[in-house]
Amino acid sequence: MMRFMLLFSRQGKLRLQKWYTATANGDKKKMVRELMQIVLARKPKMCSFLEWRDLKIVYKRYASLYFCCAIEEQDNELITLEVIHRFVELLDKYFGSVCELDIIFNFEKAYFILDEFLMGGEIQDTSKKSVLKAIEQADLLQEEDESPRSVLEEMGLA
Amino acid sequence: MSDVVEKTLTALPSLLSLDSQPGSTKLSSTSKLGTLIRGITELTSKHEEEKLIQRELTSIKEQVSSPNTSMRQMKELMVRAIYCEMLGYEAAFSYIHAIKLAQQGTALEKRVGYLAVSLFLNESHELLLLLVNTVLKDLQSTNLIEVCMALTVVSQIFPKDMIPAILPLVEEKLNHPKEIIRRKAVLALYKFYLIAPNQVQHIHNKFRKALCDKDPGVMTASLHIYLQMIQENPEGYKDLTASFVTIMKQVVGGKLPMDFNYHSVPAPWLQIQLLRILSLLGKNDQSTSEIMYEVLDESLRRAEMNHNITYAILYECVKCIYTIHPKSELLEKAAKCIGNFVLSPKINLKYLGLKALTYVVQQDPKLALQHQMTIIECLDHPDLIIKRETLELLFRITNAQNVTVIVEKMLEFLRINKDDYTTIDLVGKVAELAEKYP
Repeated sequence: MMRFMLLFSRQGKLRLQKWYTATANGDKKKMVRELMQIVLARKPKMCSFLEWRDLKIVYKRYASLYFCCAIEEQDNELITLEVIHRFVELLDKYFGSVCELDIIFNFEKAYFILDEFLMGGEIQDTSKKSVLKAIEQADLLQEEDESPRSVLEEMGLA
Repeated sequence: MSDVVEKTLTALPSLLSLDSQPGSTKLSSTSKLGTLIRGITELTSKHEEEKLIQRELTSIKEQVSSPNTSMRQMKELMVRAIYCEMLGYEAAFSYIHAIKLAQQGTALEKRVGYLAVSLFLNESHELLLLLVNTVLKDLQSTNLIEVCMALTVVSQIFPKDMIPAILPLVEEKLNHPKEIIRRKAVLALYKFYLIAPNQVQHIHNKFRKALCDKDPGVMTASLHIYLQMIQENPEGYKDLTASFVTIMKQVVGGKLPMDFNYHSVPAPWLQIQLLRILSLLGKNDQSTSEIMYEVLDESLRRAEMNHNITYAILYECVKCIYTIHPKSELLEKAAKCIGNFVLSPKINLKYLGLKALTYVVQQDPKLALQHQMTIIECLDHPDLIIKRETLELLFRITNAQNVTVIVEKMLEFLRINKDDYTTIDLVGKVAELAEKYP
Protein backbone atom coordinates (compact mmCIF):
# COMPACT_ATOMS: atom_id res chain seq x y z
CA MET A 1 0.00 0.00 0.00
CA MET A 2 1.23 3.47 -0.73
CA ARG A 3 1.76 5.57 2.36
CA PHE A 4 2.03 8.95 0.70
CA MET A 5 2.78 10.76 -2.53
CA LEU A 6 4.66 14.04 -2.87
CA LEU A 7 5.23 16.34 -5.79
CA PHE A 8 7.94 18.93 -5.48
CA SER A 9 10.03 21.15 -7.68
CA ARG A 10 13.78 21.08 -8.13
CA GLN A 11 14.04 24.05 -5.79
CA GLY A 12 12.36 22.09 -3.02
CA LYS A 13 8.92 23.73 -3.23
CA LEU A 14 6.09 21.35 -2.40
CA ARG A 15 3.37 21.24 -5.08
CA LEU A 16 1.12 18.44 -3.90
CA GLN A 17 0.98 16.04 -0.98
CA LYS A 18 -1.41 13.16 -0.44
CA TRP A 19 -1.21 11.03 2.69
CA TYR A 20 -2.90 7.64 2.86
CA THR A 21 -2.29 7.08 6.56
CA ALA A 22 -3.16 9.28 9.52
CA THR A 23 -0.04 11.28 10.40
CA ALA A 24 0.36 14.29 12.69
CA ASN A 25 1.00 17.60 10.95
CA GLY A 26 4.35 18.13 12.68
CA ASP A 27 5.55 14.69 11.58
CA LYS A 28 4.40 15.32 8.05
CA LYS A 29 6.45 18.50 7.82
CA LYS A 30 9.54 16.79 9.14
CA MET A 31 9.22 13.82 6.82
CA VAL A 32 8.61 15.99 3.78
CA ARG A 33 11.65 18.15 4.53
CA GLU A 34 13.91 15.16 5.09
CA LEU A 35 12.73 13.31 2.05
CA MET A 36 13.04 16.31 -0.24
CA GLN A 37 16.64 16.74 0.81
CA ILE A 38 17.47 13.11 0.17
CA VAL A 39 15.76 12.87 -3.22
CA LEU A 40 17.11 16.19 -4.49
CA ALA A 41 20.62 15.00 -3.69
CA ARG A 42 20.31 11.92 -5.94
CA LYS A 43 22.30 11.93 -9.14
CA PRO A 44 20.66 11.21 -12.50
CA LYS A 45 22.14 7.75 -13.13
CA MET A 46 21.16 6.34 -9.78
CA CYS A 47 18.45 3.83 -8.98
CA SER A 48 14.91 5.17 -8.81
CA PHE A 49 14.38 3.42 -5.52
CA LEU A 50 15.84 4.09 -2.14
CA GLU A 51 15.28 2.99 1.43
CA TRP A 52 14.29 5.48 4.08
CA ARG A 53 13.35 4.60 7.64
CA ASP A 54 11.21 1.50 7.33
CA LEU A 55 9.74 2.47 3.96
CA LYS A 56 10.81 2.32 0.38
CA ILE A 57 10.82 5.48 -1.68
CA VAL A 58 10.17 5.42 -5.41
CA TYR A 59 10.82 8.65 -7.25
CA LYS A 60 10.97 9.95 -10.79
CA ARG A 61 11.68 13.33 -12.24
CA TYR A 62 9.56 14.74 -15.04
CA ALA A 63 11.06 18.00 -16.33
CA SER A 64 11.24 20.25 -13.26
CA LEU A 65 8.93 18.19 -11.03
CA TYR A 66 9.85 15.29 -8.77
CA PHE A 67 7.16 12.67 -8.15
CA CYS A 68 7.90 10.77 -4.97
CA CYS A 69 5.98 7.84 -3.44
CA ALA A 70 6.54 5.96 -0.22
CA ILE A 71 5.58 2.30 -0.27
CA GLU A 72 5.71 -0.53 2.22
CA GLU A 73 8.22 -3.37 2.42
CA GLN A 74 6.20 -5.92 0.48
CA ASP A 75 5.17 -3.63 -2.38
CA ASN A 76 6.60 -3.86 -5.88
CA GLU A 77 8.85 -0.87 -6.66
CA LEU A 78 8.67 -1.13 -10.40
CA ILE A 79 4.91 -1.10 -10.43
CA THR A 80 4.92 2.06 -8.29
CA LEU A 81 7.14 3.70 -10.88
CA GLU A 82 4.45 2.89 -13.41
CA VAL A 83 1.75 4.26 -11.10
CA ILE A 84 3.62 7.56 -11.17
CA HIS A 85 3.83 7.37 -14.93
CA ARG A 86 0.12 6.65 -15.18
CA PHE A 87 -0.61 9.73 -13.06
CA VAL A 88 1.54 11.86 -15.33
CA GLU A 89 -0.23 10.47 -18.40
CA LEU A 90 -3.63 11.32 -16.91
CA LEU A 91 -2.50 14.84 -16.03
CA ASP A 92 -1.12 15.24 -19.53
CA LYS A 93 -4.38 14.15 -21.13
CA TYR A 94 -6.49 16.37 -18.88
CA PHE A 95 -4.44 19.58 -19.12
CA GLY A 96 -3.19 18.93 -22.65
CA SER A 97 0.65 18.76 -22.61
CA VAL A 98 0.89 19.42 -18.91
CA CYS A 99 3.68 21.53 -17.44
CA GLU A 100 4.58 22.38 -13.85
CA LEU A 101 2.61 25.64 -13.99
CA ASP A 102 -0.60 23.77 -14.75
CA ILE A 103 -0.17 21.70 -11.63
CA ILE A 104 0.79 24.68 -9.49
CA PHE A 105 -2.13 26.87 -10.40
CA ASN A 106 -4.71 24.11 -10.67
CA PHE A 107 -3.51 21.87 -7.89
CA GLU A 108 -7.02 21.09 -6.68
CA LYS A 109 -7.77 19.56 -10.10
CA ALA A 110 -4.60 17.47 -9.81
CA TYR A 111 -5.95 16.21 -6.48
CA PHE A 112 -9.28 15.30 -8.09
CA ILE A 113 -7.51 13.23 -10.75
CA LEU A 114 -5.29 11.55 -8.15
CA ASP A 115 -8.31 10.61 -6.05
CA GLU A 116 -10.06 9.04 -9.02
CA PHE A 117 -7.35 6.52 -9.77
CA LEU A 118 -5.54 6.03 -6.47
CA MET A 119 -7.85 5.13 -3.63
CA GLY A 120 -6.66 4.28 -0.15
CA GLY A 121 -3.10 3.91 -1.37
CA GLU A 122 -4.02 1.29 -3.97
CA ILE A 123 -4.24 1.94 -7.67
CA GLN A 124 -7.54 1.25 -9.36
CA ASP A 125 -6.83 -0.36 -12.69
CA THR A 126 -9.50 1.45 -14.63
CA SER A 127 -9.46 2.63 -18.18
CA LYS A 128 -7.84 6.03 -18.63
CA LYS A 129 -11.03 7.13 -20.35
CA SER A 130 -13.26 6.45 -17.35
CA VAL A 131 -11.03 8.41 -14.96
CA LEU A 132 -10.97 11.47 -17.20
CA LYS A 133 -14.66 11.15 -18.01
CA ALA A 134 -15.52 11.25 -14.30
CA ILE A 135 -13.48 14.43 -13.81
CA GLU A 136 -14.83 16.15 -16.89
CA GLN A 137 -18.44 15.39 -16.05
CA ALA A 138 -18.02 16.98 -12.64
CA ASP A 139 -16.29 19.95 -14.24
CA LEU A 140 -19.33 20.44 -16.43
CA LEU A 141 -21.38 21.21 -13.34
CA GLN A 142 -19.35 24.33 -12.72
CA GLU A 143 -21.98 26.75 -13.98
CA GLU A 144 -25.26 27.19 -12.12
CA ASP A 145 -27.32 28.09 -15.15
CA GLU A 146 -29.69 25.82 -16.97
CA SER A 147 -27.86 24.56 -20.05
CA PRO A 148 -25.39 22.10 -18.46
CA ARG A 149 -28.19 20.68 -16.36
CA SER A 150 -30.24 19.76 -19.38
CA VAL A 151 -27.16 18.22 -20.93
CA LEU A 152 -26.81 16.08 -17.83
CA GLU A 153 -30.40 15.00 -18.12
CA GLU A 154 -29.72 14.15 -21.75
CA MET A 155 -26.86 11.93 -20.60
CA GLY A 156 -29.09 10.34 -18.01
CA LEU A 157 -27.11 11.51 -15.05
CA ALA A 158 -29.68 13.62 -13.21
CA MET B 1 -24.56 12.79 -33.07
CA SER B 2 -27.42 14.72 -31.53
CA ASP B 3 -27.27 18.53 -31.45
CA VAL B 4 -27.11 18.75 -27.69
CA VAL B 5 -24.11 16.44 -27.46
CA GLU B 6 -22.38 18.36 -30.22
CA LYS B 7 -22.99 21.65 -28.43
CA THR B 8 -21.58 20.18 -25.25
CA LEU B 9 -18.50 18.91 -26.98
CA THR B 10 -17.75 22.30 -28.51
CA ALA B 11 -18.41 24.07 -25.22
CA LEU B 12 -16.25 21.64 -23.25
CA PRO B 13 -12.79 23.24 -23.77
CA SER B 14 -13.92 26.69 -22.67
CA LEU B 15 -15.86 25.32 -19.70
CA LEU B 16 -12.90 23.28 -18.56
CA SER B 17 -10.59 26.28 -18.64
CA LEU B 18 -12.83 28.42 -16.46
CA ASP B 19 -11.66 29.29 -13.01
CA SER B 20 -13.54 30.62 -10.01
CA GLN B 21 -13.50 34.09 -11.50
CA PRO B 22 -15.11 34.33 -14.91
CA GLY B 23 -12.83 35.43 -17.68
CA SER B 24 -9.55 34.18 -16.26
CA THR B 25 -7.37 31.82 -18.22
CA LYS B 26 -6.42 28.27 -17.36
CA LEU B 27 -3.28 29.48 -15.67
CA SER B 28 -5.34 31.61 -13.25
CA SER B 29 -2.96 34.50 -13.60
CA THR B 30 -5.51 36.89 -12.15
CA SER B 31 -6.98 34.65 -9.43
CA LYS B 32 -6.18 35.26 -5.81
CA LEU B 33 -4.42 31.90 -5.58
CA GLY B 34 -2.24 32.91 -8.49
CA THR B 35 -1.35 36.18 -6.79
CA LEU B 36 -0.49 34.37 -3.58
CA ILE B 37 1.74 31.87 -5.35
CA ARG B 38 3.47 34.58 -7.32
CA GLY B 39 3.98 36.52 -4.10
CA ILE B 40 5.66 33.56 -2.46
CA THR B 41 7.90 32.85 -5.42
CA GLU B 42 9.21 36.40 -5.40
CA LEU B 43 10.26 36.29 -1.76
CA THR B 44 13.76 35.34 -0.86
CA SER B 45 13.68 34.31 2.76
CA LYS B 46 11.63 31.89 4.85
CA HIS B 47 10.91 34.68 7.30
CA GLU B 48 9.28 36.83 4.63
CA GLU B 49 7.28 33.84 3.41
CA GLU B 50 5.98 33.31 6.95
CA LYS B 51 4.92 36.94 7.18
CA LEU B 52 3.13 36.81 3.85
CA ILE B 53 1.32 33.57 4.66
CA GLN B 54 0.27 34.83 8.08
CA ARG B 55 -1.17 37.96 6.47
CA GLU B 56 -2.95 35.78 3.95
CA LEU B 57 -4.31 33.47 6.64
CA THR B 58 -5.62 36.41 8.69
CA SER B 59 -7.41 37.75 5.63
CA ILE B 60 -8.84 34.30 4.84
CA LYS B 61 -9.95 33.91 8.45
CA GLU B 62 -11.82 37.21 8.35
CA GLN B 63 -13.54 36.33 5.11
CA VAL B 64 -14.63 32.81 6.04
CA SER B 65 -16.20 34.01 9.29
CA SER B 66 -18.11 36.80 7.60
CA PRO B 67 -21.78 36.00 6.92
CA ASN B 68 -21.64 37.79 3.57
CA THR B 69 -19.26 35.34 1.92
CA SER B 70 -20.95 33.42 -0.86
CA MET B 71 -20.26 29.74 -1.44
CA ARG B 72 -18.38 30.60 -4.59
CA GLN B 73 -16.02 32.86 -2.68
CA MET B 74 -15.77 30.26 0.06
CA LYS B 75 -14.55 27.72 -2.48
CA GLU B 76 -11.78 30.04 -3.57
CA LEU B 77 -10.85 30.73 0.06
CA MET B 78 -10.69 26.99 0.77
CA VAL B 79 -8.29 26.41 -2.10
CA ARG B 80 -5.96 29.04 -0.68
CA ALA B 81 -6.29 27.53 2.80
CA ILE B 82 -5.35 24.10 1.39
CA TYR B 83 -2.33 25.66 -0.25
CA CYS B 84 -1.19 27.29 3.00
CA GLU B 85 -1.61 24.07 4.94
CA MET B 86 0.39 22.27 2.26
CA LEU B 87 3.25 24.65 2.81
CA GLY B 88 3.14 23.72 6.48
CA TYR B 89 1.18 26.56 8.06
CA GLU B 90 -1.77 25.81 10.25
CA ALA B 91 -5.23 26.89 9.14
CA ALA B 92 -7.44 25.01 11.61
CA PHE B 93 -10.06 27.76 11.58
CA SER B 94 -11.02 26.76 8.07
CA TYR B 95 -11.87 23.12 8.86
CA ILE B 96 -15.44 23.81 9.93
CA HIS B 97 -15.99 25.98 6.88
CA ALA B 98 -14.78 23.18 4.65
CA ILE B 99 -17.54 20.99 6.03
CA LYS B 100 -20.04 23.80 5.55
CA LEU B 101 -18.91 24.20 1.97
CA ALA B 102 -19.45 20.50 1.32
CA GLN B 103 -22.89 20.79 2.89
CA GLN B 104 -24.20 23.93 1.30
CA GLY B 105 -22.26 24.28 -1.89
CA THR B 106 -23.30 22.86 -5.23
CA ALA B 107 -21.28 20.82 -7.70
CA LEU B 108 -17.71 22.12 -7.89
CA GLU B 109 -18.04 23.99 -4.58
CA LYS B 110 -19.15 20.79 -2.89
CA ARG B 111 -16.27 19.00 -4.53
CA VAL B 112 -13.68 21.44 -3.21
CA GLY B 113 -15.36 21.23 0.19
CA TYR B 114 -15.03 17.45 0.25
CA LEU B 115 -11.44 17.66 -1.01
CA ALA B 116 -10.58 20.14 1.74
CA VAL B 117 -12.15 17.86 4.35
CA SER B 118 -10.20 14.84 3.13
CA LEU B 119 -6.95 16.83 3.21
CA PHE B 120 -7.46 18.69 6.47
CA LEU B 121 -9.00 16.12 8.78
CA ASN B 122 -8.01 12.69 9.93
CA GLU B 123 -10.06 9.74 11.18
CA SER B 124 -10.10 10.73 14.82
CA HIS B 125 -10.99 14.39 14.38
CA GLU B 126 -14.14 15.40 16.21
CA LEU B 127 -15.41 17.54 13.33
CA LEU B 128 -15.70 14.44 11.18
CA LEU B 129 -19.05 13.57 12.74
CA LEU B 130 -20.51 16.68 11.17
CA LEU B 131 -19.65 15.29 7.78
CA VAL B 132 -21.77 12.20 8.21
CA ASN B 133 -25.08 13.97 7.66
CA THR B 134 -23.85 15.67 4.52
CA VAL B 135 -22.61 12.38 3.14
CA LEU B 136 -25.88 10.63 3.98
CA LYS B 137 -27.82 13.32 2.16
CA ASP B 138 -25.58 13.23 -0.89
CA LEU B 139 -25.71 9.45 -1.13
CA GLN B 140 -29.44 9.69 -1.65
CA SER B 141 -29.26 12.51 -4.15
CA THR B 142 -30.65 12.04 -7.64
CA ASN B 143 -27.60 13.79 -9.03
CA LEU B 144 -25.15 10.97 -9.64
CA ILE B 145 -22.11 13.25 -9.52
CA GLU B 146 -22.99 14.09 -5.92
CA VAL B 147 -23.32 10.41 -5.11
CA CYS B 148 -19.86 9.84 -6.61
CA MET B 149 -18.37 12.65 -4.52
CA ALA B 150 -19.92 11.27 -1.35
CA LEU B 151 -18.64 7.76 -2.05
CA THR B 152 -15.15 9.09 -2.83
CA VAL B 153 -14.90 10.95 0.45
CA VAL B 154 -16.26 7.95 2.37
CA SER B 155 -13.52 5.74 0.89
CA GLN B 156 -10.90 8.18 2.10
CA ILE B 157 -11.98 9.22 5.56
CA PHE B 158 -14.90 8.15 7.72
CA PRO B 159 -15.47 7.76 11.47
CA LYS B 160 -15.54 4.10 12.44
CA ASP B 161 -18.50 4.43 14.79
CA MET B 162 -20.82 5.82 12.17
CA ILE B 163 -20.40 2.93 9.76
CA PRO B 164 -23.70 1.22 10.71
CA ALA B 165 -25.56 4.41 9.81
CA ILE B 166 -24.20 4.51 6.31
CA LEU B 167 -23.71 0.85 5.49
CA PRO B 168 -27.18 0.09 4.07
CA LEU B 169 -26.99 3.07 1.72
CA VAL B 170 -23.59 2.02 0.41
CA GLU B 171 -24.71 -1.59 0.09
CA GLU B 172 -27.63 -0.69 -2.14
CA LYS B 173 -25.28 1.21 -4.44
CA LEU B 174 -23.64 -2.13 -5.25
CA ASN B 175 -26.58 -2.84 -7.55
CA HIS B 176 -26.60 0.51 -9.27
CA PRO B 177 -26.86 0.51 -13.08
CA LYS B 178 -23.87 2.84 -13.50
CA GLU B 179 -20.53 1.04 -13.13
CA ILE B 180 -18.71 4.02 -11.64
CA ILE B 181 -21.13 4.04 -8.70
CA ARG B 182 -20.78 0.29 -8.20
CA ARG B 183 -17.01 0.60 -8.30
CA LYS B 184 -16.94 3.41 -5.77
CA ALA B 185 -19.34 1.52 -3.51
CA VAL B 186 -16.97 -1.48 -3.52
CA LEU B 187 -14.07 0.81 -2.62
CA ALA B 188 -16.06 2.36 0.22
CA LEU B 189 -16.79 -1.14 1.56
CA TYR B 190 -13.07 -1.96 1.27
CA LYS B 191 -12.31 1.03 3.44
CA PHE B 192 -14.93 -0.10 5.97
CA TYR B 193 -13.41 -3.57 5.95
CA LEU B 194 -9.99 -2.13 6.74
CA ILE B 195 -11.13 -0.01 9.66
CA ALA B 196 -13.89 -2.21 11.10
CA PRO B 197 -13.85 -5.74 9.62
CA ASN B 198 -16.62 -7.15 11.78
CA GLN B 199 -19.10 -4.58 10.49
CA VAL B 200 -18.96 -5.92 6.93
CA GLN B 201 -18.80 -9.64 7.59
CA HIS B 202 -22.38 -10.27 6.59
CA ILE B 203 -22.07 -9.05 3.02
CA HIS B 204 -19.43 -11.44 1.70
CA ASN B 205 -21.78 -12.78 -0.93
CA LYS B 206 -22.21 -9.24 -2.25
CA PHE B 207 -18.45 -9.12 -2.80
CA ARG B 208 -18.72 -12.31 -4.77
CA LYS B 209 -21.25 -10.61 -7.01
CA ALA B 210 -18.84 -7.72 -7.50
CA LEU B 211 -16.13 -10.19 -8.46
CA CYS B 212 -18.33 -11.45 -11.30
CA ASP B 213 -19.39 -7.99 -12.39
CA LYS B 214 -19.36 -7.47 -16.12
CA ASP B 215 -17.40 -4.24 -15.78
CA PRO B 216 -13.68 -4.96 -15.28
CA GLY B 217 -13.27 -1.83 -13.14
CA VAL B 218 -15.75 -3.08 -10.54
CA MET B 219 -14.16 -6.51 -10.60
CA THR B 220 -10.70 -5.04 -10.03
CA ALA B 221 -12.01 -3.01 -7.10
CA SER B 222 -13.37 -6.14 -5.44
CA LEU B 223 -9.93 -7.77 -5.67
CA HIS B 224 -8.58 -5.37 -3.04
CA ILE B 225 -11.04 -6.74 -0.52
CA TYR B 226 -10.34 -10.30 -1.55
CA LEU B 227 -6.59 -9.84 -1.19
CA GLN B 228 -7.12 -8.65 2.39
CA MET B 229 -9.53 -11.44 3.27
CA ILE B 230 -7.36 -14.12 1.68
CA GLN B 231 -4.32 -12.85 3.53
CA GLU B 232 -6.14 -13.43 6.78
CA ASN B 233 -7.75 -16.72 5.88
CA PRO B 234 -6.50 -18.46 2.73
CA GLU B 235 -8.39 -21.68 3.45
CA GLY B 236 -11.76 -20.01 3.20
CA TYR B 237 -11.27 -18.95 -0.39
CA LYS B 238 -9.60 -21.90 -2.05
CA ASP B 239 -12.81 -22.61 -3.90
CA LEU B 240 -12.44 -19.30 -5.72
CA THR B 241 -9.07 -20.27 -7.19
CA ALA B 242 -10.63 -21.48 -10.41
CA SER B 243 -12.47 -18.16 -10.87
CA PHE B 244 -9.28 -16.16 -10.33
CA VAL B 245 -7.43 -18.36 -12.77
CA THR B 246 -10.17 -17.86 -15.36
CA ILE B 247 -10.07 -14.09 -14.93
CA MET B 248 -6.29 -14.13 -15.27
CA LYS B 249 -6.54 -16.19 -18.43
CA GLN B 250 -8.98 -13.70 -19.92
CA VAL B 251 -6.81 -10.74 -19.06
CA VAL B 252 -3.58 -12.25 -20.33
CA GLY B 253 -5.36 -13.41 -23.46
CA GLY B 254 -6.37 -9.85 -24.23
CA LYS B 255 -10.11 -10.34 -23.79
CA LEU B 256 -10.61 -7.08 -21.87
CA PRO B 257 -11.71 -3.92 -23.68
CA MET B 258 -8.80 -2.02 -25.27
CA ASP B 259 -9.34 0.83 -22.82
CA PHE B 260 -7.72 -1.13 -20.02
CA ASN B 261 -4.46 -1.48 -21.87
CA TYR B 262 -1.47 0.36 -20.54
CA HIS B 263 1.20 0.64 -23.22
CA SER B 264 -0.22 -2.45 -24.94
CA VAL B 265 -0.11 -4.51 -21.77
CA PRO B 266 -3.60 -5.60 -20.71
CA ALA B 267 -4.61 -4.32 -17.26
CA PRO B 268 -1.19 -4.71 -15.59
CA TRP B 269 -2.24 -3.73 -12.08
CA LEU B 270 -5.09 -6.19 -12.24
CA GLN B 271 -2.63 -8.91 -13.28
CA ILE B 272 -0.40 -8.14 -10.34
CA GLN B 273 -3.29 -8.25 -7.86
CA LEU B 274 -4.32 -11.62 -9.27
CA LEU B 275 -0.76 -12.94 -9.06
CA ARG B 276 -0.57 -11.94 -5.41
CA ILE B 277 -3.89 -13.59 -4.66
CA LEU B 278 -2.86 -16.75 -6.49
CA SER B 279 0.43 -17.00 -4.61
CA LEU B 280 -1.41 -16.74 -1.29
CA LEU B 281 -3.85 -19.45 -2.34
CA GLY B 282 -1.27 -21.83 -3.77
CA LYS B 283 1.23 -21.67 -0.91
CA ASN B 284 1.95 -25.10 0.56
CA ASP B 285 -0.99 -26.55 -1.30
CA GLN B 286 -0.22 -28.79 -4.21
CA SER B 287 -3.71 -29.35 -5.55
CA THR B 288 -4.54 -25.64 -5.64
CA SER B 289 -1.17 -24.84 -7.18
CA GLU B 290 -1.77 -27.26 -9.99
CA ILE B 291 -4.75 -25.26 -11.18
CA MET B 292 -2.59 -22.23 -11.73
CA TYR B 293 0.48 -23.62 -13.48
CA GLU B 294 -0.94 -23.15 -16.94
CA VAL B 295 -1.88 -19.52 -16.53
CA LEU B 296 1.45 -18.69 -14.87
CA ASP B 297 3.25 -20.24 -17.80
CA GLU B 298 1.12 -18.17 -20.15
CA SER B 299 1.94 -14.94 -18.27
CA LEU B 300 5.64 -15.70 -18.39
CA ARG B 301 5.44 -16.27 -22.09
CA ARG B 302 3.36 -13.22 -22.93
CA ALA B 303 5.45 -10.78 -20.99
CA GLU B 304 8.28 -10.61 -23.49
CA MET B 305 8.10 -6.93 -24.40
CA ASN B 306 10.59 -4.38 -23.20
CA HIS B 307 8.68 -2.10 -20.94
CA ASN B 308 9.02 -1.44 -17.26
CA ILE B 309 5.52 -2.62 -16.60
CA THR B 310 6.15 -6.05 -18.14
CA TYR B 311 9.18 -6.42 -15.93
CA ALA B 312 7.03 -5.54 -12.94
CA ILE B 313 4.55 -8.26 -13.88
CA LEU B 314 7.38 -10.73 -14.48
CA TYR B 315 8.78 -9.99 -11.04
CA GLU B 316 5.44 -10.73 -9.39
CA CYS B 317 5.05 -13.84 -11.53
CA VAL B 318 8.46 -15.10 -10.47
CA LYS B 319 7.68 -14.46 -6.82
CA CYS B 320 4.43 -16.33 -7.21
CA ILE B 321 6.10 -19.33 -8.84
CA TYR B 322 8.57 -19.59 -6.02
CA THR B 323 5.91 -19.27 -3.33
CA ILE B 324 3.48 -21.93 -4.46
CA HIS B 325 4.09 -25.62 -4.70
CA PRO B 326 7.13 -26.07 -6.95
CA LYS B 327 7.00 -27.19 -10.56
CA SER B 328 10.34 -27.69 -12.24
CA GLU B 329 9.62 -26.25 -15.72
CA LEU B 330 8.16 -23.09 -14.28
CA LEU B 331 11.04 -22.77 -11.83
CA GLU B 332 13.52 -23.06 -14.69
CA LYS B 333 11.81 -20.32 -16.68
CA ALA B 334 11.57 -18.12 -13.61
CA ALA B 335 15.26 -18.63 -12.85
CA LYS B 336 16.11 -17.52 -16.37
CA CYS B 337 14.00 -14.41 -15.84
CA ILE B 338 15.84 -13.51 -12.68
CA GLY B 339 19.09 -14.03 -14.52
CA ASN B 340 18.01 -11.53 -17.16
CA PHE B 341 17.17 -8.98 -14.49
CA VAL B 342 20.44 -9.27 -12.67
CA LEU B 343 22.50 -9.08 -15.82
CA SER B 344 20.56 -6.13 -17.20
CA PRO B 345 22.49 -2.88 -17.63
CA LYS B 346 19.42 -0.94 -16.45
CA ILE B 347 20.00 -0.15 -12.83
CA ASN B 348 16.36 -0.44 -11.75
CA LEU B 349 16.16 -3.95 -13.15
CA LYS B 350 19.40 -4.97 -11.49
CA TYR B 351 17.93 -3.90 -8.19
CA LEU B 352 14.83 -5.93 -8.85
CA GLY B 353 16.95 -8.93 -9.84
CA LEU B 354 18.87 -8.77 -6.60
CA LYS B 355 15.65 -8.54 -4.64
CA ALA B 356 14.26 -11.54 -6.47
CA LEU B 357 17.45 -13.50 -5.79
CA THR B 358 17.22 -12.69 -2.10
CA TYR B 359 13.69 -14.00 -2.10
CA VAL B 360 14.43 -17.27 -3.87
CA VAL B 361 17.87 -18.04 -2.54
CA GLN B 362 16.52 -20.02 0.34
CA GLN B 363 14.85 -22.44 -2.00
CA ASP B 364 17.45 -22.48 -4.73
CA PRO B 365 20.98 -21.60 -3.57
CA LYS B 366 22.48 -22.76 -6.86
CA LEU B 367 20.94 -19.78 -8.61
CA ALA B 368 22.95 -17.36 -6.53
CA LEU B 369 26.11 -19.29 -7.30
CA GLN B 370 25.39 -19.05 -10.99
CA HIS B 371 25.43 -15.29 -10.81
CA GLN B 372 28.12 -14.82 -8.24
CA MET B 373 30.37 -12.80 -10.52
CA THR B 374 27.63 -10.23 -11.07
CA ILE B 375 26.89 -10.17 -7.37
CA ILE B 376 30.52 -9.46 -6.57
CA GLU B 377 30.51 -6.66 -9.12
CA CYS B 378 27.42 -5.19 -7.51
CA LEU B 379 29.23 -5.03 -4.19
CA ASP B 380 31.41 -2.29 -5.56
CA HIS B 381 28.62 -0.47 -7.34
CA PRO B 382 28.63 3.31 -6.79
CA ASP B 383 24.93 3.34 -5.90
CA LEU B 384 24.48 2.61 -2.21
CA ILE B 385 21.12 0.99 -2.67
CA ILE B 386 22.51 -1.72 -4.91
CA LYS B 387 25.30 -2.30 -2.40
CA ARG B 388 22.82 -2.60 0.41
CA GLU B 389 20.65 -5.05 -1.48
CA THR B 390 23.69 -7.15 -2.38
CA LEU B 391 24.69 -7.33 1.26
CA GLU B 392 21.17 -8.43 2.10
CA LEU B 393 21.52 -11.22 -0.43
CA LEU B 394 24.94 -12.26 0.83
CA PHE B 395 23.58 -12.42 4.34
CA ARG B 396 21.19 -15.11 3.16
CA ILE B 397 23.85 -17.25 1.51
CA THR B 398 26.43 -17.03 4.26
CA ASN B 399 28.03 -20.29 5.20
CA ALA B 400 31.10 -21.25 7.21
CA GLN B 401 33.46 -20.66 4.27
CA ASN B 402 32.53 -17.17 3.18
CA VAL B 403 31.35 -15.66 6.44
CA THR B 404 34.59 -13.73 7.16
CA VAL B 405 34.63 -12.10 3.74
CA ILE B 406 30.98 -11.18 3.93
CA VAL B 407 31.21 -9.67 7.38
CA GLU B 408 34.24 -7.65 6.27
CA LYS B 409 32.24 -6.22 3.38
CA MET B 410 29.38 -5.36 5.72
CA LEU B 411 31.69 -3.53 8.09
CA GLU B 412 33.13 -1.62 5.16
CA PHE B 413 29.64 -0.55 4.16
CA LEU B 414 28.83 0.52 7.69
CA ARG B 415 31.76 2.88 7.66
CA ILE B 416 30.44 4.84 4.67
CA ASN B 417 26.75 4.54 5.42
CA LYS B 418 25.02 7.58 6.94
CA ASP B 419 21.44 6.38 7.37
CA ASP B 420 20.67 5.35 10.95
CA TYR B 421 18.00 2.89 10.11
CA THR B 422 20.14 0.80 7.76
CA THR B 423 23.05 0.93 10.21
CA ILE B 424 20.95 -0.55 12.99
CA ASP B 425 19.69 -3.26 10.66
CA LEU B 426 23.13 -4.16 9.38
CA VAL B 427 24.74 -4.18 12.80
CA GLY B 428 22.05 -6.60 13.90
CA LYS B 429 22.90 -8.89 11.02
CA VAL B 430 26.63 -8.77 11.76
CA ALA B 431 25.91 -9.68 15.36
CA GLU B 432 23.74 -12.58 14.26
CA LEU B 433 26.48 -13.93 12.01
CA ALA B 434 29.06 -13.52 14.74
CA GLU B 435 26.94 -15.65 17.02
CA LYS B 436 26.31 -18.31 14.42
CA TYR B 437 29.91 -18.69 13.28
CA PRO B 438 32.25 -18.02 16.20
